[in-house]
Amino acid sequence: MSVISITRPTNVYDDEPSDIEMSDVEESGELKKESAGESIVTPGELVTDDPVWMKGHGTYFLHDQTYSSVAGSVSRVNRLLSVIPLRGRYQAETGDHVVGRITEVGPKRWKVDIGCKQDAVLMLGSVNLPGGVLRRKSESDELQMRNFLKEGDLLNAEVQSIFSNGSASLHTRSLKYGKLRNGIFLKVPSSLVVKSKNHSYNLPGNVSVIVGVNGYVWLSKSKQGASSTTSATTNKAQAAFDSSSSGYNPGQGSVSITRLEEESSWEIYSDKNESISNSVRHTITRYYNVIKALAFGELGITEQRIIMGYEASLAYEDVGSLIDKEAMESICQDVINSEKMRG
Amino acid sequence: MELYSPEGLRIDGRRWNELRKFECRINTHPNSSDGSSFIEQGNTKVICMVQGPMEPVLRSQSNPNQANIEISITIANFSTTERKKRLKNEKRLVELKATLERTFEQSVMCKLYPRTVIQVNIHVLAQDGGLLAGITNAITLGLIDAGIAMYDYVSSISAGLYDTTPLLDLNTLEENDMSTLTIGVIGKSEKLALLLLEDKMPLDRLESVLAIGIAGGHRIRDLMDEEVRRHGNLRLSKVNV
Amino acid sequence: MILSPAERSYLYDSLIQKPPIRPDSRSGHQFRPLEAKTAFLPSSNGSARIRLMDGSECIVSVKAKVVLKSQESSLIECDIDVSGNRDDSNFVSILKFNLTNLLCQNFPMDVLQLTSKYSYKLFIDCLVISHTSYPLTLLSLATYLALKTTRLPLLVSDVDDSEVEEQPTFSDDWDKSKYLKEMVSSNSKFQPPIFITLGVVGDNLLFDPSTEEEQVLENGLILSWYNNKVITPISNINLASNSNNSNFKGMDPILISKSLALLKKYCGEIVDALDGIIEHDDATEGGIF
Repeated sequence: MSVISITRPTNVYDDEPSDIEMSDVEESGELKKESAGESIVTPGELVTDDPVWMKGHGTYFLHDQTYSSVAGSVSRVNRLLSVIPLRGRYQAETGDHVVGRITEVGPKRWKVDIGCKQDAVLMLGSVNLPGGVLRRKSESDELQMRNFLKEGDLLNAEVQSIFSNGSASLHTRSLKYGKLRNGIFLKVPSSLVVKSKNHSYNLPGNVSVIVGVNGYVWLSKSKQGASSTTSATTNKAQAAFDSSSSGYNPGQGSVSITRLEEESSWEIYSDKNESISNSVRHTITRYYNVIKALAFGELGITEQRIIMGYEASLAYEDVGSLIDKEAMESICQDVINSEKMRG
Repeated sequence: MELYSPEGLRIDGRRWNELRKFECRINTHPNSSDGSSFIEQGNTKVICMVQGPMEPVLRSQSNPNQANIEISITIANFSTTERKKRLKNEKRLVELKATLERTFEQSVMCKLYPRTVIQVNIHVLAQDGGLLAGITNAITLGLIDAGIAMYDYVSSISAGLYDTTPLLDLNTLEENDMSTLTIGVIGKSEKLALLLLEDKMPLDRLESVLAIGIAGGHRIRDLMDEEVRRHGNLRLSKVNV
Repeated sequence: MILSPAERSYLYDSLIQKPPIRPDSRSGHQFRPLEAKTAFLPSSNGSARIRLMDGSECIVSVKAKVVLKSQESSLIECDIDVSGNRDDSNFVSILKFNLTNLLCQNFPMDVLQLTSKYSYKLFIDCLVISHTSYPLTLLSLATYLALKTTRLPLLVSDVDDSEVEEQPTFSDDWDKSKYLKEMVSSNSKFQPPIFITLGVVGDNLLFDPSTEEEQVLENGLILSWYNNKVITPISNINLASNSNNSNFKGMDPILISKSLALLKKYCGEIVDALDGIIEHDDATEGGIF
């Protein structure tokens, strides 16, 4: 194995067009048409002078005309016109499952970094405290907030609402949310996370992952036996719940309150890891490198792709070689190929 | 040394209204910043990295009504032919920074991002005239890459007056020898977001210098727009695969 | 960067295993992949840019100036600028001291001699554009590349000016300029010194620790490598420079000899990789980003 690999910088976007031309002439023609059809708009460009459109994000209105304020693609939903920027920080939306890190402990609230423009807020009233959900929060709780969560702590939570100034308010009032233990943290661009009903998955190899909508990812050892089956059943329950209900309910599809009460002991705020075997630790590093590879190839990150990437990575016995550019590219190619085969 | 020959040629062979080679790249540092760019305007080379909008480190940087734009400029010691140690608090740099902050506070829709800070880090790797113009263009591209809302491009260029002839996009030699102004043009309009003239220029000639400057600014805008679209369309085509 | 207690203990427990399980599964002696470009600043005698996958980046320029030997205390001067850090901060001063010290003491100064009175002086300016982990290794590798690609104009005037007052003059044909490496006396190879940072956890030694790893290290070592051997000084340092690392403690002196052995085994490969990139780098090709 090599000690160090040094390569010359290559501009990914410079190589791209020539690559396509070489691979398949027909395909490249198609691609060009597509990209021409979805051409982007840039700041100051007139998007429409038709006043029927409502002005959404990424636009501004001047002399009866709507202009774009960012570089991105135009989105027209019903009568709302907005421009979605190509890049930009994560924008929280109600109901998003996110992973975050505490940055500040304040009066009755924590500030949480979730990769947004502003830190999110987690109110003391929006968390489960030891002793069950139904108990009143007292002054002593306020005084010992650092015993629950302190600066640097990681947690996963749901976005409960968005304040008028744009910052997000979180809650952890469900067993699937709360403090994170038994694993490692990594970041991917939030634009690569594909929103789905569920953002925490049990992966082959006794490893779980939470892919926060904000691009913060938590890889950890799966919870022991019983809880992994319950998570499967809650998923089903949640699916049923989602299909039967329209609109949004905070903490929907979570476990019944009685069980919550039983398990809401101090343990949910523990900083101690369980004992984790070396094989699980190795598997976690493999997933770590696979997710980094998917992000490197700018592939949207889904449960299926993580698993396919993991399978592709098994061809590399030495997980450490997965950090090289060629290995990451080949993993991404494998994922794309196996997706094509499955249709 | 003749800066402008009777045949109408400048010291580097350009005509009075010709730009130097302008090259720009967007999204050059995707892993270490929210937005980034690199521009080469003649031999002037500038890297721009934008962080934010983000939570301010200090409370004092937080404004409840709008985003705070903070620009820091590092001029590399090796940026000129003669190496020179530069201090961060040099008077000229502080002034430059204030000028740029004021310019972009107007052009960025700061009201959309209350209580946040937009940190812009500029690294000047090489300078050969048109420093302010180069930095302004790099910041415009960096902010666009970061997805920060702004009314329009701010494209900047310097222009000078040689005897009675206006000259566009001056290099160091020309800049040292004639009165120079730098303008920042808003989009395709004839409005200016920035105008800096540090020495004297006859009032009756100002208009002709401004006119050539605005025309040059529009050309720069088009070149930057081309790069933004090239990069943007490639990105989109990748997402759609 | 602050990690949560659970993250810290997971990371520490992984790194203390034998062999260590690093977050990205690198082996103890494996560096993170680098991208490098040399000779991209036309107005400098030598330059290099080096970048890690996580975006850490460093640019180094080497500029030469003709000086009167009698007026200079040193023929090499380093300056470091770290984005986001003040020039007079401890962090920058320590980096600067380390690099200056290393180069001034381990450099074939005779290649800079022009005449009996005049000499070249090298100004090495480093720009750390962004960094996550301790940037010393990155800086020193970039400096290595910049020095190796440094070209100096050919002296055309007389070498011996002890008798006659004469200003040195140079050929203005850049094609006739010489690389520093060509000016070294024929029986030795020109290989500027480099720094290697090592992290210590238990009995394990980790090359090129990442910023997460730095947070849980028990100690950090800075070693230098020159002319195919480890040279002094060897120093220890808390690599987690902007947060407090509660794991930091003294270390077993046996680890120092272990680290020497590791460097002996692997530094050759690092230097070869650096030389390889210079050979294959084509300055005319592509932009710098």
